[in-house]
Amino acid sequence: MSLLDRQRNTDKSGDKAINLPSRALLWLICSFALLLTPQWDRLPLWLIAVCALLASWRWLAQYGKVRLPGRILKTGVMVSLIGVYLATFQGGFSVDTAASFFVVAVGLKWLETRSVRDFYVLFFILVYLATVNFLFHQEILWALVNFTGVAFLLVGLQVLNAPDLPGGMTPIWRRLGAMFLKTIPIVVLLFVFFPRMSPLWSVPLVTGEARTGISDTMKPGDISNLAQSSERAFRATFGGEMPAYRDRYWKGLFLDYLDGETWRQGQQEGARPLGRVAVDGGIGQLEPDQYDVLLEPTDQRWAFALEGSRAVSDNVFEDSPDLFRFRRPADSPVRYRMAREGGALASDPQHPADLQRYLQLPRDGNPRARQLALELRRTMGDESIVRTLLERFREQEYFYTLRPPAMPDNGIDSLLFDEKRGFCAHYAGATTFVLRAAGIPARVVVGYQGGEKGAGGDYLIVRQYDAHAWVEAYIDGLGWIRIDPTAAIAPERIESGLRDAVAEEGSFLENDWASPQRYADVALVQWASLQFDRINYQWQRWVVGYQGQSQMDLMSRLPGGFGMRELGYLTAGIVGIGLLIAGLVSAFQMRRGERYDGFRRVVETWHRLCASAGVPVRHGETPSVLASRLAQAEPAAADSARLFARMVNSHYYSAGKEVGGSEQLKRMRRLLATMKRQVQRSRTRTGNASD
Amino acid sequence: MKNPFTNRWRRWINKRVPRSDLQAFSQRNIFILPTGAGLVFGLLLVVMLLTGINYQNSLIYLSTFLLGALFVGAMHQTHRNLSGLELALVQSGEGFAGDDIPFRFRLKAGREGGVAILLSSEDSELAPVHVVSGQALDVTLPVHSAYRGYLRPDRVRIETRFPFGLLKAWSWIRPVSVGVAFPRPVPAPEALSTVDDGDEAAEASSVEGNDHADIRPWREGDLSQRVLWKRFARTGQMVVADWEGEQGSPYWLDFNAYPGADHELRLSYLAFLVKERGESGAQFGLYLPGQVIEPDSGPAHMARCLRVLATWGQERPRDTSAEPHGTRKKQKGRKFQRPVEEQT
Repeated sequence: MSLLDRQRNTDKSGDKAINLPSRALLWLICSFALLLTPQWDRLPLWLIAVCALLASWRWLAQYGKVRLPGRILKTGVMVSLIGVYLATFQGGFSVDTAASFFVVAVGLKWLETRSVRDFYVLFFILVYLATVNFLFHQEILWALVNFTGVAFLLVGLQVLNAPDLPGGMTPIWRRLGAMFLKTIPIVVLLFVFFPRMSPLWSVPLVTGEARTGISDTMKPGDISNLAQSSERAFRATFGGEMPAYRDRYWKGLFLDYLDGETWRQGQQEGARPLGRVAVDGGIGQLEPDQYDVLLEPTDQRWAFALEGSRAVSDNVFEDSPDLFRFRRPADSPVRYRMAREGGALASDPQHPADLQRYLQLPRDGNPRARQLALELRRTMGDESIVRTLLERFREQEYFYTLRPPAMPDNGIDSLLFDEKRGFCAHYAGATTFVLRAAGIPARVVVGYQGGEKGAGGDYLIVRQYDAHAWVEAYIDGLGWIRIDPTAAIAPERIESGLRDAVAEEGSFLENDWASPQRYADVALVQWASLQFDRINYQWQRWVVGYQGQSQMDLMSRLPGGFGMRELGYLTAGIVGIGLLIAGLVSAFQMRRGERYDGFRRVVETWHRLCASAGVPVRHGETPSVLASRLAQAEPAAADSARLFARMVNSHYYSAGKEVGGSEQLKRMRRLLATMKRQVQRSRTRTGNASD
Repeated sequence: MKNPFTNRWRRWINKRVPRSDLQAFSQRNIFILPTGAGLVFGLLLVVMLLTGINYQNSLIYLSTFLLGALFVGAMHQTHRNLSGLELALVQSGEGFAGDDIPFRFRLKAGREGGVAILLSSEDSELAPVHVVSGQALDVTLPVHSAYRGYLRPDRVRIETRFPFGLLKAWSWIRPVSVGVAFPRPVPAPEALSTVDDGDEAAEASSVEGNDHADIRPWREGDLSQRVLWKRFARTGQMVVADWEGEQGSPYWLDFNAYPGADHELRLSYLAFLVKERGESGAQFGLYLPGQVIEPDSGPAHMARCLRVLATWGQERPRDTSAEPHGTRKKQKGRKFQRPVEEQT
């Protein structure tokens, strides 16, 4: 299409071709600005700046301050922008990079928006930009931003089509609002019943983009960084009772390989399969022991689950005992369903060979910790070692802090013996180290602990600052047991969360000024933030998460056993019936409109009167001719008929102002009544005469 | 003519839009189709739906349905924007051939107003107008005239694309009344009148064999046609028949005064003279074969003369009231027609 534009514009180059109404253009620019906002965290700053620049260039050109670029300059801008884009986005092709490129294209289009046709092209690509935005953000607020952007576009179109409409923007917005309200029922029906097909082909949404969240390596400082973020990790709804705060251990993954200072997964996860995760895990009512998790996108495959759970929905499976995985990375919000089973850890006796890897340690380093382990081992059994270690944490002056000191060399030694200040990751790592040094198989578990109740108390919100690391150790006869050194050092962290645990230090979300969670002690902020989260949660569960499985589930509850095919029929039926109803309604309104045209009605009555007086209307006859014929037939009514005809004429052919006054109409009605009387009287008289 | 389908289409439309100076627009005669942009919009919706299916994205589904429903809503809106309107030809214009001749239409809104209504005929188009509900608005549509004579746009198109420009609803009015294009004035050479001044001779149209002729010798400047060649053959004298009052009547503008000139050119000369004399307020009469207008003065007279010049030798367009029988009942609101301008 741009090619066509160019061809057409070559002959009338220069700025003469710009003849779009400014107000329409302004709405388009507003919409563009609005539709860029959902992308701000994805796009590099320079790209947003360039878009702003290009749009303002177009805006200034509207007022003749600058000229739109000629062909050479335009090509130059295009080539250089695309060049910069290619240089910056080195990643391979993915929807993410494609979306960014799309934004570049939209920005460039501003430079060649000269005619009405270009305006429409811009309209279409901006609508599609809104669509693309939905791929990345589905929260209710972003959805509103997108829909508002589209509304701006539609307003812009109206302004374009009627630039000088009197009455300003009010009628335009009112018209759009009325149309919107009228379409809502059909949109809702379509949304519910339109069959959700499985994807025709699959492209991974995002590749290799960093997201806030737990990663599969743990350096001592990592989780304390995460603790500064109040972003939501997931939400959970329980069919029955919620577990107590201290039992809310959401396991994500095991780190069982210590590489210097860093804990890693001993078995690397396999190559990521391409394609999309099944985002829909909704299947019917929650049983009392079940819970639903709505996970925010992590781009990882691991799913978080309470200890001792089993997978219920089929988009998640148990990878190794007590750890759950999706088949594909979660690049959009995923809902899955789990069930709790008693709450015990998997305690199957394991073969010593399998346990060997949970004893791995680096060849050297942290001699004092090793020494401590050997001392404990010399005198005690497994269980006592664990108990002694926890007692040591409880009784000695260990501190739980978000501002741990740097411990560069032999970090575990300096944590345990010198500094005694650290975060959960430090203590979990150190504990695992000591246990392994003492010959007890142990591993670091990374996940979340805790979760705040949402508004209404019917679901949990788990945020990034609830990220936690703890330890599991294998003890003969008991199997794997959970050991949480943090619980020994700072019980508040486990009982009521990070906020209370670091209350004295005042370091809770100290870098996150804007987060409402930081001001949670202000009741209003807390209330508002929770209410908002609830709305968003419902939105995500019922609107965003309304996918194939949920639809089938809903349909199965309707009588009649709906399958995919029936849904198709139903949708077609809805569309058909909707169109029919709309047509009928507008036909009805039209008819009513006709009936209420008083003038026409009066004239029709007159015609009937004439016909009954033996003077049927001839086609193409003017009122005056008809009146004179009537006068011939009924001389008694001659004067009134002529007067009436003159009034009809003046209705049609007088200047606009006098037309259709209700006063005139009333006079015509009166006159018509008189005429009728005259006709009747003369008829009775002639009737009598003929008798 | 062009192709049977076009003809058929045309006939079908003409049945729905009969010739009339007053046309009320309703479902019966409003046509609606998506514009080019509307088609692209449909394509966009398909692409959006595919995106929604592929990424299992409920919100994309939702916005697709919303935009689709708005498109259907726009269809009704566009249709309603036109229906209920009445368009009447209030005055068909007059002017000189070659000029744009104004046709005045009255656009009357029904219960609902009309927004961004476009009127156009074959080669002219007006800026969109808005008419508020219950009110009327006069618009003047210039119709280009190429030749003198009766002038009537075959169809005047009324169209609207409001609100979004994705759909266009249109209809036509096919006026009955005709406008008139006067002959284009061409400065006339000096001419003689062949018309007798006397009342009783007003109808004189015969030229030859008239007893009233004075016979005088030929002199320099006489047209060769005036020479009585028969007599020349007989007697060898060049004599000229001098009709009575030939030069004595500056009032008469005579069609026959420009021998040798093409008819249309003669009419143009006459139009020029009529205009000139009419504007100066002089008295003049007009003599055309088959039609004589008594000397008079004033703008009405001038207009009458110009009209006669314009329509001399032409028939009114046929089809002035052609309408299939039996449709009268269904035709609400178009029983009155503008009185056909009575001409004498």
